[in-house]
Amino acid sequence: MDALNLLMDGFAGALTPMNLLWVVVGCLLGTAVGVLPGLGSSMAVALLLPMTFALDPTAAFILFAGVYFGGLFGDSTMAILMNTPGQGSAIASTFEGHKMAKDGRAPQALATAAIGAFIGGMVASVVVVFLAPRLADFSANFGPAEYFALALFAFVATSSVVSDSAVKGLASLVLGLGIATVGIDAISGSERFTYGSANLFDGISLVTVSVAVLALGEVLHVASRIRRNPAAHQMKVTGRPFLSRAELKEAAPAWARGTAIGLPFGVIPVGGAEVPTFMSYDLERRIDRRRPNPMFGKGAIRGLAAPEAAGNATTGTAMGALLALGLPVSATAAIMLAAFQQYGLQPGPLLFDRAPELVWALLASFFIAMVVLLVINLPFAQLWAKLLLIPSQYLYAGITVFCGLGIYATSGAVFDLLLLLGLGVLGFIMRRHGVPVAPLLIGMVLGPLAETSLRDGLLSSNGDYSIFVTGPIPLVLYGLLFIVLALTVRSKIVNRARRDV
Amino acid sequence: MSTPTSSHTGTAGEHRTDTQPPWEQPETPATWWSGRSGLVVPAVVAAFSTYLLIGALTMEIPEGTDFPGPTFYPLILTVAGYVLAALLVLHYLRTPEHPEELSARTWRTHSDWTAVLWSAGGFLAFALTLEVLGWILAAALLFWAVARGFGSRRPLFDISLALLVSSAIYLAFTVGLGLNLPSGILGGGF
Repeated sequence: MDALNLLMDGFAGALTPMNLLWVVVGCLLGTAVGVLPGLGSSMAVALLLPMTFALDPTAAFILFAGVYFGGLFGDSTMAILMNTPGQGSAIASTFEGHKMAKDGRAPQALATAAIGAFIGGMVASVVVVFLAPRLADFSANFGPAEYFALALFAFVATSSVVSDSAVKGLASLVLGLGIATVGIDAISGSERFTYGSANLFDGISLVTVSVAVLALGEVLHVASRIRRNPAAHQMKVTGRPFLSRAELKEAAPAWARGTAIGLPFGVIPVGGAEVPTFMSYDLERRIDRRRPNPMFGKGAIRGLAAPEAAGNATTGTAMGALLALGLPVSATAAIMLAAFQQYGLQPGPLLFDRAPELVWALLASFFIAMVVLLVINLPFAQLWAKLLLIPSQYLYAGITVFCGLGIYATSGAVFDLLLLLGLGVLGFIMRRHGVPVAPLLIGMVLGPLAETSLRDGLLSSNGDYSIFVTGPIPLVLYGLLFIVLALTVRSKIVNRARRDV
Repeated sequence: MSTPTSSHTGTAGEHRTDTQPPWEQPETPATWWSGRSGLVVPAVVAAFSTYLLIGALTMEIPEGTDFPGPTFYPLILTVAGYVLAALLVLHYLRTPEHPEELSARTWRTHSDWTAVLWSAGGFLAFALTLEVLGWILAAALLFWAVARGFGSRRPLFDISLALLVSSAIYLAFTVGLGLNLPSGILGGGF
């Protein structure tokens, strides 16, 4: 088994004491940031991005893997304890998870979530190890038409599926696509939208944009509400995580079903882990209704186990899609992609040939991160909640200082700090008015790919648009896109009808 | 809410463009503007589209550039931006969005603008003074301003903590990781 040998090499690369330390540091940091109210794993990765440039690429990505998965663990911890999901993928966990916590079963809920996330993530990592190289081979002969279809797919899926309002999602996407066009045009060499400012020749850095909208925008948003509604930031935690044999037996099928639902969603980009978490929650609910003694609404362990497993399974395979296709399907994956580009690496079919030791060490570190997370989350979950004791004014002041530090350290220019502030205000406005920020980041990352393939395709066909709908792969992608949109419309109607939760 | 809407739709166009910032909301929460401060979103989208449009129209394009030139794709975005801005305006005109007020009392504006201005203003001051004052002083100023914005009322303790944090970061990142942070007027120490 070729993939197994390569993975073993990867483990050899990842298991050096120094890299192991980075995994642990990443998991701790990710969980710590994920646990803090309102701060999701994407913010953790965004804040850490500038810091990792001092590390070598392998160590940096291993650190990221830890932060990424740690953040997801932390998100669900807070979703369960305080009913404040750090990001969309943890929302489904709040329904039954928070009910369990209120019921005095918080430790069991945390254990259920941690084990579910572990199972989902592990299975997904195995799938990625065997599937990602094939996916990379398959996508190696993609042309402009295929890439354009893929980019369009990611755009529409992320902006319409994730947000409540498709118009708001698309507006966010267009802002991101537009920001990405600033700077020297790669094909013709003309200066675009710089208005003569030398600071804009190289374009607007994704690091600046992601720190601005994810971190600074969030700080301003919290600032705008915290003194008026401080109650959302309080909770007490007691007890020890412990699952009885009966509870394990109860949750096991839900973990399996959640994982099965989550896996395919990471490979086909449909906008992050939110959809599969809701789908698996919905499935468990339907199954539960047919049982003699329905548990949903009273803190059903299955209603928490399935979305957790589904969310992490999707996250795991999404990393596979990022590595093999260069296609980010969430805000966090978009930032990871930026990190790759910062090191001069372009994720996609060629990455497996060009930097195999990096890819396989990263994949191996997924497994290590899962184990480390299970170890630090099962016994210490309630301990994390102690982080809430940091007075919020110093916590957010510290985050703001780190935003400034990160951007100044990478660019060394005051201009970028002002840009950061402007975009941070934009991020605040978007949050205040319910406009999702993930489409903006995905638009920024995939915009250049979409534009280049669009123009390359048209150049080679002499302006004939039919080139984009010839060939099986684009047609299949457009077909899938149609199905996804239909499913979204359906699930929105269903959501509206099932308010009885 | 529906009656003032219908009577004001005629003048809505002018209102929208000039009185945009939500912090200039009228005195009482029951005016036409309540629930419609979200109009700032289409305003931003339209302004950005205009930025792209002007940039595309004034762009210097090299001779002999083939059909999908450097302005082709941005112009698609411009059109999409204007269409989406118009749809958003329509959305806010038809269904004002009232954020859920979770605290005990009602406020004139949903957002606490004092806190936001302290934080954003602190960052602006930080950006402008960083290279003159140096990292330690500028970052401490930022820390203090944000902490104050978040409601801290212990200026002396905050300033000491701020200086401690900024000095610790300076030491860790310049000495430890070799990043280049400005030393400013405290220069020469390291």
